[in-house]
Amino acid sequence: MDQKIFALIGLLGVSIVLLIIAIGTPQSLIPSPLKIVLLIVALAFDAIAFTSRRYYYMMVPLLRQRSKNIVLSNEEPYWLSSSGDAIIRRERDWFIATAYISIPFYRSATEMTDVEKLEFSRQMSRLVGISSEPVRFTTEMYLMNKDAYIQELHDAINQAELEEAQLASGADTEKLEIARGKLAMWRNIMQNASAVQSLEITSYAAVSAAGAKEYEAISMVQQKARDVVAGIGTTLGVTPSVITGSAILKFVEPEYLIPFSTVREQMETKTEEQVI
Amino acid sequence: MDEMDVLYLALCGVVLLVALATLSAYGAGWSYIAAVFTLLTAAFIIAMNWADFIVFPAIMKMFSITFQPAKGYAIVKNQDAVVKNVGGLYYATGFATGNLFGYTFKAEQEEEGAEDKMLHASENWERAVMSLDFPFKFHVLSVGRDVQKVRDDLEAKRGYQEFQLSRSLENTQASAETTVTDIRRKISIIQAKIDRISAGEKPISALMYFETTAVGVSEKAALDALSDQIRRLQIGMSSMNMQVTRVAGREVYALLEMNFSTPISVQDITTEFSTEG
Repeated sequence: MDQKIFALIGLLGVSIVLLIIAIGTPQSLIPSPLKIVLLIVALAFDAIAFTSRRYYYMMVPLLRQRSKNIVLSNEEPYWLSSSGDAIIRRERDWFIATAYISIPFYRSATEMTDVEKLEFSRQMSRLVGISSEPVRFTTEMYLMNKDAYIQELHDAINQAELEEAQLASGADTEKLEIARGKLAMWRNIMQNASAVQSLEITSYAAVSAAGAKEYEAISMVQQKARDVVAGIGTTLGVTPSVITGSAILKFVEPEYLIPFSTVREQMETKTEEQVI
Repeated sequence: MDEMDVLYLALCGVVLLVALATLSAYGAGWSYIAAVFTLLTAAFIIAMNWADFIVFPAIMKMFSITFQPAKGYAIVKNQDAVVKNVGGLYYATGFATGNLFGYTFKAEQEEEGAEDKMLHASENWERAVMSLDFPFKFHVLSVGRDVQKVRDDLEAKRGYQEFQLSRSLENTQASAETTVTDIRRKISIIQAKIDRISAGEKPISALMYFETTAVGVSEKAALDALSDQIRRLQIGMSSMNMQVTRVAGREVYALLEMNFSTPISVQDITTEFSTEG
């Protein structure tokens, strides 16, 4: 905030000084074309001063780097706290810790009566107002992670291929046919598993707190998270819990929304189709 | 517009007014050129104040400027998506506004059929979600406000409007009639808000938006898939009577930042976004 005001005063100051030189200096000293140039520069500073209200974050990097790819930050956006229940990021001199709280709610509107539906909507309205601190409630739909399952299928296919190769040189045609059938079966399962997208839906709340030290921010956010957990529990009658460890990444990183191995087969098929 | 916007506009406007008032200093003929440049700057400032979400992306696109908000992330030149490259795959994330409530708290009277809407809300939501087959997030960033403070503020506003009304009623000019009608309408809106708080409704400030991610083997493929997903999101959510508008410009950066930490105070939200209150 202070930096923004300093930037405004500085930019406006330059603009005013240039304008005064342009209008106050006699034409014998500065000819009219040069005065116009001074006016244009003064107006440019005036426009930049106004723009700094919303775009201060990019102005200094833009002016310093003067390239087409402006690096606002070259650091990791966050790191996992040592306690594993929050992610931390640094903003100037402050540490900001964010905790994620899962909301285990598994009821569907199709199994509710009209009274229950109305009550559910009212519960949701109450839920968003439980805290006087900002809380973000999120419903997230993401692709089910089939990476482990797909890996198992890959292993089974490799095993079946090996078996088929060993039997191919022998005279036992019956066993060879069985091995070929097994291989075809695994390949079909693999094709089906990667062709169909399975989606999951989950709800969670996120809350942040700032502190001068990392442990201070974590302690503050844990306190806030406890309040939100209590609020959600009372409002919805469920048992929310603070999410820990790498499970948090599902709510932060885009690649966890669409797991790599799960979509790889589809991507390859699509690319092959495009090439053909 | 908040107080800071007004301050910035006023200070920068003063420079423009001074420039316009001293056009004669540039000599005959040159004063016209000076006037044109001053008016162009004024137009730019006005555009940046009310439509920066159009102006800023247009400028960045013109100069093909991209931003790296954090390691591994890039905001594309159109300023409407964030791209991350993981293991050769491109993940494009875009944001769209999706106000679920409508501005009911700003209405003069409670909307008719509000209960009916609430009754079908959960069913409509499930139907809308079932029609979508790609990953997305719906975020509601909310702050419950101090009921007594909001009530006191509203009563103070009502008192001021009533004072304005009594002054306007003393005025015998014909134009005063329009002013009286306008003030009475404002009093009616404030009174409706006070009544709703008295009836037990809790005032909140809320910001609601969608986030969706698409994947592609190239940046273009991911961005095309993202645009398609946002279009489908707009269609899917139409049953909720929700206007879904794609976010572009500085708000993309602010929303990406919010993925890693939520705002700490109400002030942090109001600085970046307009809120419902």
